[in-house]
Amino acid sequence: MPEEKKFYLTKQGLEKIKKEYQDLKSLKLAKTKGEIPKIWHSEDINPEYLSFREDLSFLETRIAELENILKNVELIKPPPKERQNIVNLGATVLAEIDGEIDEFTMVGTLEADPSNHKISNESPIGQGLLGRRVGETVVIKTPIVNHSCKTIKIKYNKI
Amino acid sequence: MKGIRKFKIDMKELSQREKVLLEKLILAAELIAPLYLKQKNDKYPGANFYPHDATREEIEKAAKKNSAILNPYTFVERNKSRKLIAIPYHLKFKKELKPIAKLLIKAAKLSDSKKFSHCLKNRANSLLNGNYEKSEIVWLKTEPSKFGFIIGPIERYLDKLFFKKCAYQAWVGILDEERTKEAEKFKKMILTGRRKIISGSEKVDVSKLGIRIDKTAIFSGLIADFMFTGTNLPNDVNLMEKYGSKLTIFESSLISKFKEDHLPTFKVVFTKKFQKSYSEAELYEGSLRCILLHEICHSLIRYRDAEERLRNFFPIFDELYAYILGIKSCGTLLLKGALNQKELEAILIMHICRNFTWWLDSIKNPDVKHYAIGAAIAQSFFLKEGAIKEKGGISWPDFTKLFICIDELSNLLEYHLALGSYEEAKEFVDEHGSFDVFKSFYPHLAKIPSKI
Repeated sequence: MPEEKKFYLTKQGLEKIKKEYQDLKSLKLAKTKGEIPKIWHSEDINPEYLSFREDLSFLETRIAELENILKNVELIKPPPKERQNIVNLGATVLAEIDGEIDEFTMVGTLEADPSNHKISNESPIGQGLLGRRVGETVVIKTPIVNHSCKTIKIKYNKI
Repeated sequence: MKGIRKFKIDMKELSQREKVLLEKLILAAELIAPLYLKQKNDKYPGANFYPHDATREEIEKAAKKNSAILNPYTFVERNKSRKLIAIPYHLKFKKELKPIAKLLIKAAKLSDSKKFSHCLKNRANSLLNGNYEKSEIVWLKTEPSKFGFIIGPIERYLDKLFFKKCAYQAWVGILDEERTKEAEKFKKMILTGRRKIISGSEKVDVSKLGIRIDKTAIFSGLIADFMFTGTNLPNDVNLMEKYGSKLTIFESSLISKFKEDHLPTFKVVFTKKFQKSYSEAELYEGSLRCILLHEICHSLIRYRDAEERLRNFFPIFDELYAYILGIKSCGTLLLKGALNQKELEAILIMHICRNFTWWLDSIKNPDVKHYAIGAAIAQSFFLKEGAIKEKGGISWPDFTKLFICIDELSNLLEYHLALGSYEEAKEFVDEHGSFDVFKSFYPHLAKIPSKI
């Protein structure tokens, strides 16, 4: 059996997912508990019923997605002190990329938000830097762009 | 109407009062076009800003005694004894500017936003008293409002003699909130890193950058002629350093340019097989990002002395480098997972298409020649390095090589803007800026309906 995909989340990220899951479950319950529109409106399908089904289907899909995430979640934790000079999930990295100094935190794909300095572990930078130590330079290659990336500083904040 | 371009926009979400306000602003914008047309004259490098028989040396000599001669907001004329004198715009056009200012005051009274109203009143005053700096500062300090509006003498592109005199223009638009939020995210990603500065250069840090995407209702004056898809103001480096700058993307103009120019260019320049890999929506997004990156990067390439050093070559380097640095920044975005490969390819494709359209536009409108020269420089690098393979006017790009060219070009352009001399700039443009690079594509480009 193929291994199921792991979802890496910070504590805050996990709380957010749990909250969304609970909210959507409550919403679904409220929707199905109330009066369900009739399927037929004279000889045509009732548009209100179609809209109800569409909303429900959207909710069910998202709930299933969240259940899968919660089933396969792995919490991001700071590594032991002796391994804190190595880039891992949760690390805030100061790096020189193609001559520019940049700082970002390595997170799982679900929490990635490059505009807020949160980079996915599955991005080319994430893949290139994971496991690297301070002072190491790595060339990150994509089909279009090749950039060298030097790790200047690594820190782990309390997660 | 000459000097005016109007766009259809959805006004459903505006109240009746706001619709009236918008009408007043549009009317004021329309009235600025005739003033621009009096400044414009393609036959002379100094347009109508200087006497046509005055030489560069004569003007410079007069400016040493009277600084108003090279003030951005004066016409230079000869008096009865044939001496050069400066006449401020606001005095020369006093009669024409009064009704425009009145319309702005009426619009200000209709606005629910005190700050926007204050901004309009200041614009009105500046048109009549010539204190443009004060109104520019008020505008820079004003938070984004529902209406995007500019009026006055702003851009210097008509003055090919000294790149000093400002030409009149106006635009009116309505904020596209959703698109603006997306653009804001993009801006944050671009401005996140700290770039290295070439030592010895006088780099200016822009304190803050406001951003908005507008559904534009009207362009008037210079902007109607140039059909900008975006702009980053103010042009004054000192104001920009102290008060920041504001970037506007003109959605209506961009859609029109994309449909009439960029997309048809894509269809005639690239092979049919290559075209099938990209949808129209992906290419439009590429076009929007291309101009957004360009305008954001204008804020990153300001050097205090660049205009003085490079003079008439300054706009060529400034405009081209903003495009090139914008694309270069995408490399990091790709690595961070903020852009995917297809999205970056669409940006590169649209940049190439823009190069062609700037050249075609410059045939009809010589005032945009500096953009076309910049486009020719980029194109010559792409062809020379084999990033674009030209086969009888049809091309297939090598994206990896394109990116290498962009990197190389970026370093060269940065040098010219940061430290380069006038002579070096001239030599660079002479070597790489020939329009010959476009000529083999012409039979295909001539098939574009808007270009026939």
